[in-house]
Amino acid sequence: MTRYGMVFDVKRCIGCNACTVACKQENSLPDGVFFTRTLSAESGEYPYVSRSYLPTICNHCEDAPCEKVCPSGATWTRDDGIVMVDGDKCIGCGSCAVACPYDMRTQIEETQITNGLFGDGKLTPFEEQGYSRFECGSFTKCDFCSERVDGGLDPACVATCPTDARVFGDLDDPDSKVSKLIRDRMGRQPLPEKNTRPKVYYID
Amino acid sequence: MFKVSLKNILRPGFAGGTFKSGYRFQKYWDTPMATAFFCGETGAGLFIVSMLMDFLPGIILGLLITGVGKTFFHLTHMGVPSKAWRALLRPDRSWISRGLWGIIFFVGFGSIHVLGVLFNVVPAGLEPVVYILAIAGAMVVVTYQGFAMSHSTAISFWSTGLMPISSMLYGLLMGSSLVLVLSALGFSISNPEHFSMLGLAQITLIVAVQICLLSLLHGAKNGSKGAQQSYILLVKDFLARPFLLGVVGVGSIIPLLILLFIPTNFMTNLIVTGCVMLGFYLFRLLVFKAGVLDPILSPADIFKR
Repeated sequence: MTRYGMVFDVKRCIGCNACTVACKQENSLPDGVFFTRTLSAESGEYPYVSRSYLPTICNHCEDAPCEKVCPSGATWTRDDGIVMVDGDKCIGCGSCAVACPYDMRTQIEETQITNGLFGDGKLTPFEEQGYSRFECGSFTKCDFCSERVDGGLDPACVATCPTDARVFGDLDDPDSKVSKLIRDRMGRQPLPEKNTRPKVYYID
Repeated sequence: MFKVSLKNILRPGFAGGTFKSGYRFQKYWDTPMATAFFCGETGAGLFIVSMLMDFLPGIILGLLITGVGKTFFHLTHMGVPSKAWRALLRPDRSWISRGLWGIIFFVGFGSIHVLGVLFNVVPAGLEPVVYILAIAGAMVVVTYQGFAMSHSTAISFWSTGLMPISSMLYGLLMGSSLVLVLSALGFSISNPEHFSMLGLAQITLIVAVQICLLSLLHGAKNGSKGAQQSYILLVKDFLARPFLLGVVGVGSIIPLLILLFIPTNFMTNLIVTGCVMLGFYLFRLLVFKAGVLDPILSPADIFKR
């Protein structure tokens, strides 16, 4: 059975945030809402300092805590392992947001989708078309661009990454690129001590 | 003073809403949710104590605090209040859902019990059933919020079995204190022996709350890095003043000293109840404010090899 996952090659990531922009464009995300972020961290002391980058995204956990705590059944997992949110069913209680150890849930506030990107209350045609998918007050998150995946495409962040730092594929296929990278380069999951069994791996 | 300002979020090691790697505050459960939790535990605690004492004014007030106060603040917090009924759908896995069923049982059967006492509308054979179901609902309401918090492994400070225990202790403490104040206001308790029993219960519960607070802090200090950050925030950083002065000092030590060394009268009961109430509300608020998420990946692990 297919079980989708992602691998981040931290050595390849240059922190350009093209993935962040592609994600916002693909999902018509309002101002202040991000499904993926590339975090930065500085290490060392002057003059020997370096900056490193850490791409983050919803980990589509096998044992997703956000799904377990959701009282309304809005969060559910597809057969291929992608954790989805049904905005129509979400009541906006926030229990998923406090249960996610990765801080990957975002609430859509009314002002975010009524003010528009320019803050003058006028939505561009792009915003009008895109924001209709969001319910005010509900929580949302990355769905691995499920519509693109269903159409045989990679998620937008993967397709746009200029350095191939993001790799998407089937974790259950031992010959897939993600499986090989995890096996050969000792892929590590974020916060494994939380027992969520993420389907996102980091290699360096 | 208690608000998590930008200045506080952008402290060393904390990432806030930026694209930096570091600790993050949970930000979605805030004042309205803390107030809803406070109302739920206070109302259910008052109801349980009043039921045991057969004290009708306390029973009615407990039902009102939970049924009206808690419901109002939950709806205020909720992003889509018009769909609140959907929270009933997953009692098999969600503590929020179980809690809502508890509230329905508690308020529903509690109200039937009150109607039975006032107007004798409940058949004699059903009275014990209504009584037990109302108490069971109240027990769920007084503890489920602690379970909902301890269920979250994301916030290490909350992820402890002491959370439901603290909920229950504070709920019962609030219940005993409010019954004593109400009885001093002229609503008589049927059995006078209950006065001395409630006084003793108050002292015991305050000591138990103090032990629970110490255990929570001890666990956080020796827990994961996120829990240690919560400990630092509550004991040494910008939440230390309201926590140590408000929750520990005013909410716990002062009432204990008053109860131990000053003869009880209406004024002392009122002061003790006010202090306990303030301490409990601050506790609820500050536990939310001190909820810290661990860094997604420790930079030390991945970047320093």
